[in-house]
Amino acid sequence: MSLLRVEDVHKSYGDERVLEDVSFAMDPGDVEVVIGPSGSGKSTLLQCINRLTEVDDGEIHLDGEEIHRMDENELRRRVGMVFQEFNLFAHRTARGNVTLGLTEVLGMGKREARERADDYLSRVGLANQADSYPAELSGGQKQRVGIARALAMDPELILFDEPTSALDPELVGEVLSVMADLAEGGMTMLCVTHEMGFARSAASTLTFLDDGRIVERGPPEDLFERPERDRTRAFLGRLTDVHGGT
Amino acid sequence: MSGDEDGSDSGPGGAPDPESGSDPGADGATGQDSGSAAGSGPGGAAGSGPDGVPGPGSNPATDPGTAAGAGTATGTGTGTGLAEEGVAGADVAESRGTSVGELPGRRRLVVAAIGIAFWTWLVARWAYHSTLLDDLFTALGAPDVIRSEQGVRAREPWFPAGPFEAAADAVGGVAASLGLASALLDWLRWVLDLAAFATEVAPAIAAGAYFTVYLTLVSILLGLVIAVPLSVARVYGGRLLSGVALVYTELIRGTPLLAQLFLLYFGLPLASMIGDVGFVGRGAIPREAVFVAIIGFTINSSAYQSEYIRSALESVDPGQLRAARAVGLTRLQGIRHVVLPQGLRYAIPGWTNEFVYLIKYSSLAAFITVPELFRRARDIGSDTFQYTDIYAVVALVYLALVLTTALGMSRLERAVAIPGLGGSGN
Repeated sequence: MSLLRVEDVHKSYGDERVLEDVSFAMDPGDVEVVIGPSGSGKSTLLQCINRLTEVDDGEIHLDGEEIHRMDENELRRRVGMVFQEFNLFAHRTARGNVTLGLTEVLGMGKREARERADDYLSRVGLANQADSYPAELSGGQKQRVGIARALAMDPELILFDEPTSALDPELVGEVLSVMADLAEGGMTMLCVTHEMGFARSAASTLTFLDDGRIVERGPPEDLFERPERDRTRAFLGRLTDVHGGT
Repeated sequence: MSGDEDGSDSGPGGAPDPESGSDPGADGATGQDSGSAAGSGPGGAAGSGPDGVPGPGSNPATDPGTAAGAGTATGTGTGTGLAEEGVAGADVAESRGTSVGELPGRRRLVVAAIGIAFWTWLVARWAYHSTLLDDLFTALGAPDVIRSEQGVRAREPWFPAGPFEAAADAVGGVAASLGLASALLDWLRWVLDLAAFATEVAPAIAAGAYFTVYLTLVSILLGLVIAVPLSVARVYGGRLLSGVALVYTELIRGTPLLAQLFLLYFGLPLASMIGDVGFVGRGAIPREAVFVAIIGFTINSSAYQSEYIRSALESVDPGQLRAARAVGLTRLQGIRHVVLPQGLRYAIPGWTNEFVYLIKYSSLAAFITVPELFRRARDIGSDTFQYTDIYAVVALVYLALVLTTALGMSRLERAVAIPGLGGSGN
């Protein structure tokens, strides 16, 4: 059974249709990369999946269970999210960012939470920055804390919302390599990103979203080498120019 | 009635911190400087200070400093002292400080010393006439150490007025022999007379200050307890909750505090209800008017505090709550663990404003018979007819309370500062 199944999802903000008839499914361990021009509904799609935004119509199933019949906090515990703007809790240290969910949502004891936080921080290469506040970290370090924060909750699926778009170019690599490690380790990931190198090497499926609709979806090599649609070809061509694909 | 000091020696601000100290003298100086700068410089210069800079917690009191800086910049300044004041003022504005900010070390020490001396004297006075301590010492077999049985009027000053009186007389004699050129000496004589007068009224002033501090502290803290949920309701409540909070806030802020106190004390049977409670007015428990004043100030202050906290909460990045929700925290958990810890830090400068206001507004309790600082002053004035003198003395006591509070709060702000949060953390 698929871990995530999105069926006929529609979403509008007022008169503006953001998602139209979006359907796809992911199996455990899949790494799905969603690309598309800005305003195509990529971020909205992610927010619908952890219910930071509610869909107008359609169903989303997590592990066979319709998410709108679930407690939303339970859903969010099972679906991690990494933000473009990091959104680290500004008043807590790197460690504090990770432990908050552990103690308040999972009900862990302080010491256990602390050990687990340190473990996950060291997995993303930040063992020495555990006591630093977000303002004292570089963008790449912040985003790695963001990933550790999501990861420590032991989610079934992690959503990445353009995790490298707010980063200076020289800091993108450290975040991508953490993500690549995760993909390697079998984590199910749904990533909105324009890092074509990552899409090529780590993605199991590439989805091209435009104007709220899925234009084309398939293994990345297919979309890169033999796109069926001209729009896909044009968009990928422009992306590869800007972000580099090889 | 007399000073019993549960918790009072953790007075507003407590002992001022030498590190975060500032100089009221310098504050006064900047005030004068800005006056001269505005007077002699091009009119626009004084107003050209970074008025736009201050954020939510900016204090108007910092502007004179920057104005003084502008004065020197236009060449009307008379020395390096002026420039220094200007710079100090600008620093305060940048750090959103609480009116008294950072000043060079020696001045800080002077202020700290004055503040500590003031509070030591105040607390010692309260302790000396505390019924609680008297009971304690009597139980320990030393009944005469604490003198709680003395009425306020019967209390003896600790410092002699004689030397000041003698000095005043001496200065007066010299002034008389000089004839016309004695304006300065006359003024000096007035100051010495005032000092002599101040030593005589000091015990009554201390007794009044006890109620001022007590009312302010209790009301600001109880007000905070109400203000936090109130501001959360304003920002995050649904239409109903935020509507109720809005009506409460605007009703309280839109009516005079004195009218609110009169309504509570004279209009409602509140005072007699409180008076009927057995322990009210006995021993260390103050009488009913004090409780009514606390209720009034708490309600009033909660409305103002909630406005300061509301604007601070609104300045917390919405992404913070979204991230908290994404981790699985409920909305309430997110507000409690993520939004409030940040918002309350942002609120400290504005909250200090309210604190300082309340110290002074507590004088309105005089009109519902609470024998606090202002009422003591009024009574002394009608006994002695030295109205100018007593109000000058009391103004200085209020000033000392306010400045030490502001220092204490800026120390608190520093103590809870987190890198990257707010203006002063960096």
